[in-house]
Amino acid sequence: MKDFCSSVSKLLEKYFDQEVTDKERLLVEGHLQDCPACRDALRSMEELRTLIKVPVEEAAQKEDFPWVWQKIEREIRSQEKLTWWQSLRPWLGLSPLLKKKIWIPAVATIMVLLFISAQIFFKKIPSYSGASVVEYVESETNNVMVYDLEKARVTVIWLFEEPEEEVSPS
Amino acid sequence: MAIRGAGGGSIAVMKRVVALIAFFSLLFILFTSVAFAQVQTQLRVIRASNVGQGVDSSLKELHNELKTLFNFTSYRLLRDENLNLSLNQPVSISARERRIIMEITLMGRHKNVAELRIRVNREGTEILNTQVRLSPGRTVLIGGPKVREGVIIYAFYAHF
Repeated sequence: MKDFCSSVSKLLEKYFDQEVTDKERLLVEGHLQDCPACRDALRSMEELRTLIKVPVEEAAQKEDFPWVWQKIEREIRSQEKLTWWQSLRPWLGLSPLLKKKIWIPAVATIMVLLFISAQIFFKKIPSYSGASVVEYVESETNNVMVYDLEKARVTVIWLFEEPEEEVSPS
Repeated sequence: MAIRGAGGGSIAVMKRVVALIAFFSLLFILFTSVAFAQVQTQLRVIRASNVGQGVDSSLKELHNELKTLFNFTSYRLLRDENLNLSLNQPVSISARERRIIMEITLMGRHKNVAELRIRVNREGTEILNTQVRLSPGRTVLIGGPKVREGVIIYAFYAHF
């Protein structure tokens, strides 16, 4: 019983501060019914609280809180004003971005992207200025002629085809 | 009150940044690959003949070239198509009651040059097979297939 009492007494403070679980509360309340020593301990805690509470409340009533608040407000106003960038940065959530572990991968990715895009856009392509416009031309049925009108930048591929056979109505 | 670790916030932001970068990279690669795999080409199908006189008003800019190159008296625009060619995807254009069919395939695309393979079929028989390099400012005319009143001329222009 004494061991049980000592284990419950550990919960007694928590019980007094209303920090116990439902299970612990039932255990403590059950024990308090049978244990006058623990009841006395709980009563002592309540008396102690009352002893402390009364003078603290009296002191708080005497204290001038509006005056304290005015002082705090003055302090806030007197602080140096933030620049537009300083005030914008937390709003944008950019401050973590300035950390190395963010911007190094970001810069690396951008560099890779630039490299890829440079490969695509500035790829050295074969010059076709001197090359023929017509790569090949073939016809198994007709003759074909290729003619370039370079001044007008026109290329003609002409198929010499026999006239269509007309189906004459009989 | 729970106290968050000092590095927790920055790791979360880093993850978000990396995810955003990855997303935009994918978008960029997708966009460039799609953009380079497609070519806008204008195709005009013209009927040239010696029946009648005149050039269609829509062929005004070709008028001088047509007069210099050919001896026909009449030029009529039969079709004016804006083709969106994709790599290795043939597009068919018919003229004159579907008896003459032209098949155009984009074979390759360089910075300012598109390689087009053009096949002309008459009633299922291939009468012409060619591959040309088309660039902005250049006109490629393919002519000759006979029709009752004259010949068909195909005019290609690049739009990229």
